[in-house]
Amino acid sequence: MKGLQWTLAVGGLILGIMLAYQFRVTSEINKTEPVQRTQLLALQLNQLKEDRDSLQEQVNSLRTEFDRVSAGPQDIELKEGLDQARILAGVTELSGPGVEVTLNDSNITLKPGENPNLYVLHDEDVLHVLNELRAAGAEAISINGQRLLAGTEVRCTGPTIVLNRDKRLAPPYVISAIGDPNTLESAIKLKGGVAETLQFWGIQVGVKKMSQVTVPAYSGGIKFEYAQAAG
Amino acid sequence: MNKPIYFSIIAVSLIIGLLLSFQFRSSGGNAGGIATERYQELTIEKLKVETDITQLEEEISDLTVKIEAARRGRTEAAGAIERELDKIKLYAGLIPVTGPGVDIVMKNIEASQFGAGFYSVRDEDLLKVINDLRGAGAEAISINDQRILATSEVRQAGNHINVNLVRLSPPYNIKAIGNPGRLKSSLEIKGGLVEFLAANGVTVEVQQSEQVPVPAYSGIPRFDYAKHVQRG
Repeated sequence: MKGLQWTLAVGGLILGIMLAYQFRVTSEINKTEPVQRTQLLALQLNQLKEDRDSLQEQVNSLRTEFDRVSAGPQDIELKEGLDQARILAGVTELSGPGVEVTLNDSNITLKPGENPNLYVLHDEDVLHVLNELRAAGAEAISINGQRLLAGTEVRCTGPTIVLNRDKRLAPPYVISAIGDPNTLESAIKLKGGVAETLQFWGIQVGVKKMSQVTVPAYSGGIKFEYAQAAG
Repeated sequence: MNKPIYFSIIAVSLIIGLLLSFQFRSSGGNAGGIATERYQELTIEKLKVETDITQLEEEISDLTVKIEAARRGRTEAAGAIERELDKIKLYAGLIPVTGPGVDIVMKNIEASQFGAGFYSVRDEDLLKVINDLRGAGAEAISINDQRILATSEVRQAGNHINVNLVRLSPPYNIKAIGNPGRLKSSLEIKGGLVEFLAANGVTVEVQQSEQVPVPAYSGIPRFDYAKHVQRG
């Protein structure tokens, strides 16, 4: 009988130690380094983004200030050149007539065995729509508030697309384009065109003609590291 | 006599049960893997935002200098506008540029195993090449000397491809300025565009170069619809 009691006592002791240890592990998991690090980094990133946005505001107001200070009857030609170059460079907010194109993933219910990837919007589809708008004479384009520049890439990462370095967008994608509303609309809705192709896969394409579309300025820094003006 | 043993067994079973449930909870809630993945994503995003901040700060000091110059007098103002115009034109693609980068030639293999002209370079191939180069940080791109602007289309028109409303025919010569190694590998990566196009009988030669000249847009930019939004 004594032996059984000893066994129970030792067993109880070991279990007790394990229990205590288990408690510590559980309560420490939320404090482990990777979790804490990530939370801290996320906070830092938010702060940096706020800093960037306020710097962007500052740049915008400095541009307005520059225009005001340098205003005068002289240099009309230079000023016009500057205005046009700014439209192309994407550094100013623009408005004008145009279209709003809305793209969204398929609403078709998949049958078992079908490849879901075929019914999801791809970067290629977005590129295709943008290309059609450009061919129809779009003067300025933005997607979900992100201005498209000459160097803007459109890349799929999981269910979202990334453009302008770090701007991550999720569907639905709203593309705003300034130009002749009729030409732009028919470029998308053309028979056998991009809307028809995408609609075959159930991808939702909507085109709305607008008398006034606003396309925001590019937000972020532009600086060439490699390219230099050639004489 | 038997009662204490029953109690002991009950107590031990209870403790083991508790242990088991804790074990389950802790392994279910262990988010270590996800946290590290997020960490990487956030770190890269942070680097990009920091680049933005540095560049915006440079832009602010540049504009401040120009504003001060413009306040001093008319001739200084004209000079400041001219310098601002040059800078904006550079970003807009209205000035020829040069720098390190890649020189790419895309052409159909004359007589491929599928017969001549089985697959010719299409607009979407060029669009994808351009998109990959942009993603790899290309600062200026041209196709057969047509500069790619924010408004440039790349569009099939019969056997030709139109860029900036100018008709181009193969072979296509794409020039891009940026980090040469990064640009080259973005296309030649396994499962990338070079591999895909080669399988369809299109050869893509990517040459790294220290000096790649990219011409300016040769047309005159015209905007009939877009107007600047006046603020403040």
